[in-house]
Amino acid sequence: MGFSMLGPVFRQMFKKPWTNKFPAKYQPSSTTKYLEAVGAGKVKLNPPVPTPPGFRGKIIYDKEKCIGCKLCLKVCPCEAIEFKEKDKKIKIYLARCCFCSQCNDICPTKCLSMSNEFLLADVDPYSKELIVE
Amino acid sequence: MTKDQKTPEEHVKYLKDKFNTNIISADIKKRAAGSKKNETPSIWMKIDKGAFKEIVKYIIEYNYPHLAIISGNDLGNNIELIYHFTVNYGTRLGEINLHISVELPKSKPEIETICDLIPGALITEREKQEFLGVKIKNIPDNRRLFLPDDFPKDVYPWRRDEKGLEKLYKNLHEVKK
Amino acid sequence: MSPEATTKTTYHVPIGPIHPALKEPVFFEFEISGERIIDIDVKLGHVHRAVEWASRKRNPIQILYLAERICGICSYCHPAAFTLAIEAAADIEVAERAEYLRVIQGELERITSHILWAGVAAHEIGFDTVLFLTWEIRERAMDLTEYLCGNRVTKGIMTIGGIRRDITKDMLPRIQKDLKYFKDNFGKLAHIFLDDKTIKMRSQGAGILTKENALKLCAVGPTTRASGIKKDLRADTSYFAYGDLDIDYITPEALTGEVNGDVYDRIIQRLLEVKQSIELIEQCVDKMPAGDIVSEPKIAKVLAQLKKANGEGVGRHEAPRGEVIHYVKLTGEDAPFTWKVRAPTYNNILPWIPMLKGEQIADIPIVAASTDPCMSCTNRVAIVNNGQRSLLNKEQLHRLSVEKTRRLMH
Repeated sequence: MGFSMLGPVFRQMFKKPWTNKFPAKYQPSSTTKYLEAVGAGKVKLNPPVPTPPGFRGKIIYDKEKCIGCKLCLKVCPCEAIEFKEKDKKIKIYLARCCFCSQCNDICPTKCLSMSNEFLLADVDPYSKELIVE
Repeated sequence: MTKDQKTPEEHVKYLKDKFNTNIISADIKKRAAGSKKNETPSIWMKIDKGAFKEIVKYIIEYNYPHLAIISGNDLGNNIELIYHFTVNYGTRLGEINLHISVELPKSKPEIETICDLIPGALITEREKQEFLGVKIKNIPDNRRLFLPDDFPKDVYPWRRDEKGLEKLYKNLHEVKK
Repeated sequence: MSPEATTKTTYHVPIGPIHPALKEPVFFEFEISGERIIDIDVKLGHVHRAVEWASRKRNPIQILYLAERICGICSYCHPAAFTLAIEAAADIEVAERAEYLRVIQGELERITSHILWAGVAAHEIGFDTVLFLTWEIRERAMDLTEYLCGNRVTKGIMTIGGIRRDITKDMLPRIQKDLKYFKDNFGKLAHIFLDDKTIKMRSQGAGILTKENALKLCAVGPTTRASGIKKDLRADTSYFAYGDLDIDYITPEALTGEVNGDVYDRIIQRLLEVKQSIELIEQCVDKMPAGDIVSEPKIAKVLAQLKKANGEGVGRHEAPRGEVIHYVKLTGEDAPFTWKVRAPTYNNILPWIPMLKGEQIADIPIVAASTDPCMSCTNRVAIVNNGQRSLLNKEQLHRLSVEKTRRLMH
């Protein structure tokens, strides 16, 4: 073998690091304060690695197009979709969703689609961010 | 491995001649795949418990089989065990699947072990004992495999009768509304 | 030191339930005399999740995603085998183009899995630079998976009667670029693993599984092929498009001219298979016919057809670790009557016993890892609390293994 690893080691020294520093280039002293500042628009987030084409992220629901056929309830593997009898529309609990996009495929009116949004971590599984209706 | 490779039809004919009434039914299913529609044959056989070990011996004599798994069904009065064997592997597109089904009455769900012929059957036989409640006679290792030691006795998860899991769970799909 | 040479009694060393090699739960109890292993007992079931039982409340489309979550690394093989079983049971036709696309996905998964394994094996003997090198290559394979399926791990690509995403013409250059990258780096990896003195010292002659044992204990996948048994579902049977492709059995003989069935042979076996997978993907890209990717695009119709179906079927697919077999029985209800899953590690547990007997404690990690075990695949049903037993934890064991490598190098 000899010193065959020397080449890669030297190259490594001048290469741009693979890691994408997200959400900030350097660790902030307080993460909550940093996120508050982001919320107030003072600081900009270091963007995440772009998602690939056809990424399956948070579901977008077009309520107007929905005809209340309940087909999506039938295929959802996680029982994340609830049917609202009163107004014949659905409610999706993202905390249970496994992002398989099977409901998108079966929807006859194509009122469901997947977005690129993946930053969905939350402390409350029933928070507003995690319920699509 | 033997050189004279029999076709699935020859296998079925030979077994039917030799064990006649012990073979309740035998079907050959072929499924084509790909653009060239090459077929893979599988033999589905229902046999009587009495001749089971003899048939396994016949397969071993013909060509040492690979036992993939024993799967099982609870059919109400009977418990069905299906032994999934494959023979003739090692030749391009020459493999034959052998699915041998044995029905055991629930009153006396007992069958002989095949660990003495195929030692690799031990894990799957142990699994069938704890999941379906069948008794494998002369099994070299009688312990549980997957279930914990404090799991209640006389509860068999794959059963669909009063010995099933029904008593052991509640509130499976509860969502706060 | 042979057991006869000492009058001392043997010791029992429990290892686990966190696996000494891959970070997975399996419990070993070793009977030790000095440094030698005399007997082994394996206990399973620490992550049994009742997957088969859970399927009783789900229809086949829902089970596809349950099957996908049996294992993270084999997140394609389990849905694939399940789909094959359902298609056989209900006699559903498959779109021709989809058969080729299915092969591409399967082989891509094999590349990812085998390279991951190569890294872990190197880590087990204390060769961490190789771990990072292999995982850099694997990252490219993961990126390609992400590009083809949308997500990295849970691919969600299988469906009954075909596949969910097509590979269009504009995607081909990216695939070819990545395949070229794998080929270029394959040489480098092969050089490190096959010519390095340290790896040879640790792996040659360790953990031998004879051909007879492999046959009798029903071993599957690279573990059995490294012992010289020609058993590869892709060549044995015709499923997906494998019947159309040019594929041959690979055993370590191809490279070294002999089969020993040791850890070194299993390393060779997996490396050769990576190369084979790259070639198979290339063949598929060339031969792929045009057409639909799914035979029945309306999922509601498929579900209705399955609800009427009666019959049983078996689906078998050659996963990276060996044969995955699913048995399905349909009785005209929403959910299948029975669904039985058999992951490859299930059959590769018993071969551990002859492999480990007579070895040293420091060899446990590399020998156990050499079958590429995936315990979470195998234990699919409950939760266990294993009580208070003194354990030799994985860090200690890993340290022992690294120390042995150092000793050999000096």
